[in-house]
Amino acid sequence: MNCPRLKNWFSERYNFDEIRDLAKKKFVPNHKYEVWYYTGGITLFLFIIQFITGIVLSFYYIPYFEHAHKSIIEIVTKLNMGWFFRSLHHWGAQIAIVVLFIHVWSTLLLKAYRKPRELIWISGFILLGIAIFFGLSGYLLLWDERAFAAVRVATGGAGNLPVIGEFIKAFLRGGIDVTGDTLTRFYAFHVSVLPLITICLIGLHVLLVQYHGMSVPISVKKEKRTETPFFPNFVYKDLIIWLIVLGIVVTLATLAPPEIGKKADPLAPAPENIKPEWYFLFLFQTLKLFPGEILGMNGETIAILLISAGILFFVLIPFFDRKSQRDERSTLFTWIGIIYFLYFVIMTVIGFIS
Amino acid sequence: MKAILTIFAGILISASHLFAQHDKIDVFPAAPYDRFIVYQNLIIFWIGIIGLIVIIALKLREITRIQKMGIDKEEKDIPILD
Repeated sequence: MNCPRLKNWFSERYNFDEIRDLAKKKFVPNHKYEVWYYTGGITLFLFIIQFITGIVLSFYYIPYFEHAHKSIIEIVTKLNMGWFFRSLHHWGAQIAIVVLFIHVWSTLLLKAYRKPRELIWISGFILLGIAIFFGLSGYLLLWDERAFAAVRVATGGAGNLPVIGEFIKAFLRGGIDVTGDTLTRFYAFHVSVLPLITICLIGLHVLLVQYHGMSVPISVKKEKRTETPFFPNFVYKDLIIWLIVLGIVVTLATLAPPEIGKKADPLAPAPENIKPEWYFLFLFQTLKLFPGEILGMNGETIAILLISAGILFFVLIPFFDRKSQRDERSTLFTWIGIIYFLYFVIMTVIGFIS
Repeated sequence: MKAILTIFAGILISASHLFAQHDKIDVFPAAPYDRFIVYQNLIIFWIGIIGLIVIIALKLREITRIQKMGIDKEEKDIPILD
């Protein structure tokens, strides 16, 4: 399609050559770890799928506790392809969080957070936190007994934080317990607050990556390297990977659509062997390790404090890792990254099988 | 007769647990024909994806070949026909 008049209309008003030159100037370094560069793009692609499927579902979902569960059943059983969009939204979220974790750990182990990219690391970490909160808030929207109990446990856990815990719990629940108010509140977070923050943060994250360029690992920095143009070479490779990811998500959505449990009853006891979503299992399992009382203090509060300290240390790693700042190899922080990774995996597996 | 009674009792026992379960919600089309259509479309979808990947890979190979030859760069002092 060639529309010279339309092209002229735009080129008289906007300088497209500048954008073209900018795209031509961007290069991606070639080295043995370059495969990890694609994880960021995959996450972005999965976020786009989530936005599209989420919009479709929001046309039919009713965010009121008396109708929420029924509206999802109607989406799945009565709407044409409703089951598929719900399943796609579910699997897109699961895989997005897996890829996000891989992206975070690859950044950590390749020391891509080092000076001057500290803000990229922090914005990425906030995005991971938001993605997890997306998962939690979306899980409650189902309004079945498992989701209800899981959210009660998760928000109750936040309440154990000293000083601000009770405020966070009341803010999340919209009251003293998980009720219909919590559902509408979580719906507001899920469809308006979190997407807005996500779009802003993704914009900042991508902008900072463009500003600083791709990070090269310290171990290969001194090697003689070639570079690949971002456009079109890297973009085409990204497209191929995105297509494969789309295929995987669609296949999972078709072959393993998520179940819908019984409607939540706030007065009923929690179902047996209740477990949170897999990305909360390591926290859940850590809380189980602590006794009810330690030296006269609440064991759960101590556990939450220790977990918060661990997460805070993880976020601030770029500022602690002085060797990486000087472009020197820092084995200590590689081991710290591996320990964090192993702890997460082992605790998740134990939580899953126990 | 004994065998028939045993079979009948077995069927009754195995069917009884159906009453104990709560109704499972169908999260996937239940009719066999609808299921067939879904699986068929999944295969067509994968064929489409593989086709697109092949096209993009061929395009990428052509771009790399042109870049290696060095004829993708614009010449600065190229004469203009107008």
